[in-house]
Amino acid sequence: MNFTRQFLSILLMNLSGIRQRSAQVLTIIIGVTCAVGVLVSMLAMGAGARRQEMGDVRADHATLITSGARYLQSNISRDEIAAILGLPGIQKGAQGEPIVVFESMVPIEGRRRVTGNRIYFPLVGITSTVTQYQQMRFTDGRMFKPGLHELIASSPCVRQFTGFEIGDRRPIHGSDWTIVGHFEQGKAQQCVVYADVDNIMSIFSRNSYGAVSVLLRSPADFAAFRDAVSANPALKLEAQRESEVAEEGFKELNAILNFVSYFVGTIMAIGATLGAVNSLYAIVDSRRSELATLRAIGFASGPIMLAVLVESILWAFPGALLGGALAWVLFNGLSASPFGFSFQLAVTPSLAVLGIVWALAMGFVGGLLPALRAARVPVATALRAT
Amino acid sequence: MRFLPLIWSGIWRKPGRTILIFLQVSVAFALFGVLQGLKTGVEHLIGEARADLLIVHGGLGLMDPLPLSLLEGIKSIPGVKVVAPVELFGAIYQNPNQKLGVVAIRPDEGWLSAFTFTIAPDYVAAFRTMRTGAIIREGLAKKYGWKIGDHIPLMSTSAQMNGSTDWAFDVVGTYTDSDVGGGKETLLVNYAYFDEARFAGKGTVNHFNVAVSDPRLAVNVADQIDRRFANSANATQTDSLRELAQSQLQSIGDLNFLIRAIVSVVLLALLFATATMMMQSIRERTPELAVLKTLGFTDGAVFLIILMEAVAVFVAAAACGLALSLLVFPFASKIVPGLSVPLVVVALGLICAVLVAVISALLPAVQGAKLNVATALARR
Repeated sequence: MNFTRQFLSILLMNLSGIRQRSAQVLTIIIGVTCAVGVLVSMLAMGAGARRQEMGDVRADHATLITSGARYLQSNISRDEIAAILGLPGIQKGAQGEPIVVFESMVPIEGRRRVTGNRIYFPLVGITSTVTQYQQMRFTDGRMFKPGLHELIASSPCVRQFTGFEIGDRRPIHGSDWTIVGHFEQGKAQQCVVYADVDNIMSIFSRNSYGAVSVLLRSPADFAAFRDAVSANPALKLEAQRESEVAEEGFKELNAILNFVSYFVGTIMAIGATLGAVNSLYAIVDSRRSELATLRAIGFASGPIMLAVLVESILWAFPGALLGGALAWVLFNGLSASPFGFSFQLAVTPSLAVLGIVWALAMGFVGGLLPALRAARVPVATALRAT
Repeated sequence: MRFLPLIWSGIWRKPGRTILIFLQVSVAFALFGVLQGLKTGVEHLIGEARADLLIVHGGLGLMDPLPLSLLEGIKSIPGVKVVAPVELFGAIYQNPNQKLGVVAIRPDEGWLSAFTFTIAPDYVAAFRTMRTGAIIREGLAKKYGWKIGDHIPLMSTSAQMNGSTDWAFDVVGTYTDSDVGGGKETLLVNYAYFDEARFAGKGTVNHFNVAVSDPRLAVNVADQIDRRFANSANATQTDSLRELAQSQLQSIGDLNFLIRAIVSVVLLALLFATATMMMQSIRERTPELAVLKTLGFTDGAVFLIILMEAVAVFVAAAACGLALSLLVFPFASKIVPGLSVPLVVVALGLICAVLVAVISALLPAVQGAKLNVATALARR
């Protein structure tokens, strides 16, 4: 008899006798389900956060910041405006004006709609070119008028916080500001409020911008744009692609989420593997006489080992599917807001695949020792015991 | 007591199986310790944050500057003991990735009581006499190997009068901070020196720290401060350090649901796995248990022996796992600086271990107790 035929017949024999061992098999499946389910749900947070942060990134967007500073925390002085507007590669608007957005951010206090808890959200002073720079869909009201004390709020603000209805007045630095519009921008779930940048800067007596964003004619113009920035001695600035800015802002959260996910996931996987080992030992022990008989009639130990290994992986597999499915059913699309970020959990296909691989690894590692024991059943004693 | 040898031999009847269960329980409780420790630790930190130290910042948020002139007004409110102006700015050392936070303060009379810092008296004295002096947080001093007397050049986003963004300070001492919030890599410098030398924002501060004379008055004092400046161009928002810690750690509180879910899943999976193993074990030991009964052990005694076996293994393993979690916790606590596992978590873990052990051993123990001697021996 050749190896494959031996292996297949042993595997069939093992699987057919499984009804008596259903408790052990269930233990393996439940353990793997829990481990995979938890890992996939936790990684879904990171995937969701990334999908949201990177979802609106465009290749023809570039941002200027002071070297070493973070986005919106730069010091770009008014003296640099002329040099920035003259940079090459910038898309021109309908009236021939370069599409450049000057930004200045102030954190503003808000109250959560449900709990009444205080939180901070960004009030971003912005030039009105922003409507040409990025997609902004007004769901209600209109754009703010430059020079007036007017605010426009993204729709998440209205959903999450109080005081953002059209016509609501917010006192900011001693004067009243009126909400005149609600807008949506891409996938962003963050509350952000825009106002005229010059108004904001004069009220907060600032004389430098936090960041400058430009719309490029095409993504290919970025290299020339960046070189022009670094070649200009009047500009102490650094040009970054929008994806780099998003990646930078997301780095810290991503590192924490990944660390927590893999930390918890690994510990749970170890626990599930240990449970699988114990269950498989019990299964193998219950088959001692069958295995001894097989050895006695000439079966080799190789196929016996392989059969146990494959069996172990087979029992881990439904656990993987179940765990991934549970994570998807329970958590996909659920909103989470750990560490001040808020986003929807995303159970992506690649996460599901990762869960399956993870489970198969658990099955494989868990099956190794029991497979060895199965192959080493001492024929004589095992047969005598029955 | 006479059961002890029986329980012991029962545990080691199948050493491989017991060791695997032991490891499984240890791993589960190591995870329990870390996750539950994170949750309880955060609650602990909030409870420990000082409720009698008030932070007065601009009504628009933590970045909204306030004029230094508010100081006298705050001081005049009854119940206020010390008012200390605080200005914050960011700096980098040598390269953009080495960021640090600079805290500019005024070493006025009694200023230390309005902070959570611990500083040796001679450092404070040296700081008072040296305009460009800086007291460095211990961790930061260690990171860059800075010693007293060192002259450290920094680059800041705040420019000086002469347009330069380079600043330099002389190390006069080190300090530790018991507060949860704020950055870890910070240094204290003289507000007077900084304010005089800087180009923009002269005469403003980020916030005032206020120490109150009686902690019970803290809420009242906070209200009075805010009421005094309401409707002025510089409306204030006053919170105690505890309230700030609460809102800062709130975001982690959002993870509570997740932590609870994971801990329950872990314990459930563990329960199922160990219950199956116990059933299997009792099935295998049917003849032995029958012999025990023949020798005169009562049903209750057999029940107890099986239960105690499970409890012994679980408690030992859980203790092991929780000890492990204490060891690995420093890595997990990267998320919240200054966090440690409160002993409550250890106690809670041990209680959970006993519960899981009793539940998973209950059915097998009942089976063992109800065992009919005649049939059990006949099956053999």
